[in-house]
Amino acid sequence: MSLVTAPRLAGKRRVTPGRVLLVVVALTVLLSLLRVLTGADDLASSGTLRATLVAAVPIGLAGLAGLWSERAGIVNIGLEGMMILGTFGAGYFGYFYGPWQGVLGAILFGALGGLIHAVATVTFGVDHIVSGVAINIIAAGAVQYLAALTFTGVRGGGQTQSPPIDALPAISIDALSDPLGELEAKNWFFVSDGAAVLRALVTNLSVLTLIAILLFVLTWFVLWRTSFGLRLRSVGESPASSESLGVNVIRYKFVAVLISGGIAGLAGGFLALVASSTFREGQTGGRGYIGLAAMIFGNWRPGGLLAGAGLFGYTDTLRLRGGGESIHGLLLLVAVLLVGLAVWQWRKAARTAAIVSGVMGVLVALWFLLSDSIPEDLTGMTPYVTTLLVLALASQRLRPPAAAGQTYRKGSAG
Amino acid sequence: MSDSVTAPPGEVVVRLRDIGKTFPGVVANHDVNIDVRRGTVHAVVGENGAGKSTLMKILYGVQKPDSGTIEIGGEQVSLSSPADAIAAGVGMVFQHFMLADNFTVLENVVLGAEKLHGIGDEARRRVLELATTYGLEVDPDVLVEDLGVGARQRVEILKVLYRGAKVIILDEPTAVLVPQEVDELFDNLRELKAEGLAVLFISHKLDEVLSVADDVTVVRRGTTVDTVPAGSVTSRQLAEMMVGSELPSPATETSTVTDEVVLDVQDLTLTVLGGERKLLDGIDLTIHRGEILGIAGVEGNGQAELVEAIMGMRSTATGRVTLAGADLTGRSTRERREAGIGYVPEDRHRHGLLLDAPLWENRVLGHQTRRPVVKGPLVDRAGARADTQRIVEEYDVRTPGIDTLARALSGGNQQKLIVGREMSGDPVLLIAAHPTRGVDVGAQAAIWGHIKRARRDGLAVLLISADLDELIGLSDTISVLLRGRLVRSFDPEHVTPEDLGSAMTGAAEGDVR
Repeated sequence: MSLVTAPRLAGKRRVTPGRVLLVVVALTVLLSLLRVLTGADDLASSGTLRATLVAAVPIGLAGLAGLWSERAGIVNIGLEGMMILGTFGAGYFGYFYGPWQGVLGAILFGALGGLIHAVATVTFGVDHIVSGVAINIIAAGAVQYLAALTFTGVRGGGQTQSPPIDALPAISIDALSDPLGELEAKNWFFVSDGAAVLRALVTNLSVLTLIAILLFVLTWFVLWRTSFGLRLRSVGESPASSESLGVNVIRYKFVAVLISGGIAGLAGGFLALVASSTFREGQTGGRGYIGLAAMIFGNWRPGGLLAGAGLFGYTDTLRLRGGGESIHGLLLLVAVLLVGLAVWQWRKAARTAAIVSGVMGVLVALWFLLSDSIPEDLTGMTPYVTTLLVLALASQRLRPPAAAGQTYRKGSAG
Repeated sequence: MSDSVTAPPGEVVVRLRDIGKTFPGVVANHDVNIDVRRGTVHAVVGENGAGKSTLMKILYGVQKPDSGTIEIGGEQVSLSSPADAIAAGVGMVFQHFMLADNFTVLENVVLGAEKLHGIGDEARRRVLELATTYGLEVDPDVLVEDLGVGARQRVEILKVLYRGAKVIILDEPTAVLVPQEVDELFDNLRELKAEGLAVLFISHKLDEVLSVADDVTVVRRGTTVDTVPAGSVTSRQLAEMMVGSELPSPATETSTVTDEVVLDVQDLTLTVLGGERKLLDGIDLTIHRGEILGIAGVEGNGQAELVEAIMGMRSTATGRVTLAGADLTGRSTRERREAGIGYVPEDRHRHGLLLDAPLWENRVLGHQTRRPVVKGPLVDRAGARADTQRIVEEYDVRTPGIDTLARALSGGNQQKLIVGREMSGDPVLLIAAHPTRGVDVGAQAAIWGHIKRARRDGLAVLLISADLDELIGLSDTISVLLRGRLVRSFDPEHVTPEDLGSAMTGAAEGDVR
């Protein structure tokens, strides 16, 4: 029953501006409720939200890179490596030539990683995971070597990091930002939180963040509204069908992985150019993998991916802002969600699962009630625990591209 | 059609001359000559492995012929890819549908032909228009995975029409359909030919061919035997042309049936998981020592489920299964195999072999608890290799050696290896599901020989096949499976493929014709 109806629902759940607005408002209400109930004011401050945006963009871009490649049927676990290449590309070109050249350099270096992945998986039929992991290892080593070669002895630089790079332009609308700040300070239910959300969007917004958001829209349009996108997705769903209809499967897969590499590189570039202002070794910190998780969470669609990236970015921000108190507040949300899930499962007659969720929900609620804060050792784990939880709970109704991870050889039609 | 057909009615639109195609070690086609007239349904019939599918892939540009010429609409063409064939006005509906499940009908139809009408509303209008013209009802905005088999086939035909094809190839289109869907398909085909298209219809089901085709070309051992008007032949005559005198007959010798029961199945029932529909409904059957029981039926009527339930692969099946007096009900598949069941599965690539493992490792599969391939908890390499060598020699498996990967063998040789393995370890029951499907003629004869020998040696054999001649020739008794029930039994001595065919489609629906 659910097998038949689920995809149909997904098909009808079209993204319209009205729905997006509705979701944003609902989230704001949820956050305000949580803030008022728990008294953790940092949960919905504009500072937190702005930081969330900065944390979410590289994850979102990494996920977007994964989306391009997986939609064409190539699993790209090498995102992390391509991001690492991107950070160095941004550092090198950004320092020596300027920030915009840094952006291009990041894309170029990432695409280089994509090229290696494409040659290995598409041309030679290497297992996608093997190739991806190899790229992650090689990228880390190559960047270490290249960084030592270029930045050693440069003023302000060193073996593992570049000198500071000039910042990309950022947009602030003071006329809106200041009054919104006053409104936020009043701590009114919902109104202040809404102000915080808007203020985060009009204060010190990097151009690259805007570009990233545009890339999401562009990706959706290209993949779902153009014949190029239709063909690209078709080689990830059923390459034999595509070939039987005259689509050049190999070429589309190649292009998709190259684009994927470029976007992953940009994600790395964002870390070096916007999130900080230098290239540092190990800057990616596993965000490539989290991006992949966000993509899976988003059911291989840009809208869902955006939500996933927001979630991971938010939890990551709370961690960074030392928010033992904020994360403690989140426990209440988790408890409510788990109990809700338990009720839903019970009605679906999944009794065992319902009991497990229910007990977990009660335990989390008890934890929330019996403590005031979460030990710092645990807050550091928040984004990773979130990743695990979300994937474990959400992965049951997902629909990956049918041919993802399979090697395709020309002439397999018929 | 936007592409107006230039040839007047009855004129030849496809002319194949002296087509030949050789694969390493196998001549798939030679000296093939076919003329297809416009406004007709032209059937190409032949046994499995006769070269029908290769021929059609040549016409659709998937395979390139080694020799011969193809003329479409009076012009000689060279087809080196499906794109060329589409441009020349040839479309093909493959036996295994070429559809992306997670795409809508519209997306599947326009893929690759986006230049014609885009991918938006104009394309949707065009699809609906075609659907109405040809009576191919389907909603363009549903996902293909939500469609049934018949509807998927309509989508495939729409795909071909959308590209303005003048010639449509249908490769075994009825293999996956239930009788009502077959009737619908044939109505659609009549619409198509009334609109002036040429339909090439590949099949080995003679009754269907005679009911829908205008011309019939018979293919045997890779070459065309003759082309005759459908009105002038009976299915018996066609069957003779298909089999020919040069083919070995599956017919068995004198009866070796004893009264000692080997397999006894009582009230075997299997229900769809979480549903009401019964895949198997109260099956009772017995097979004696030295008896071959053939099961006939249109694909999808429960054959695969019956075999899997007897093998213990369907844990939800209810009913009793007794083998040579020992009750197997509730036992695992391994225990059943150890009790003496040999199993030649329907899909040898998915269930019979590890394609990327050497032959001797494949010999161990399913025997991993038994000598001579294991010693205690360990695999006995030497024993396994020696026994594989024995199978290779005894069963004439043509291979460079026993370290060759199973993938490198032809279908027939893979199947001979499986038969050899399943006959190892002294089984008392052999289950053979479509044992000669997709194997060449030589291997087919060899496999028939092995099944006959098993019968002589006193095994009970359960034979599932879609090849009615094979069933009639080999079996001592034939039972017909229809919608999960054994509806009738026949004595193969006094039954014709026609009788079987009408029983398989259900007496209630009457003959297909």
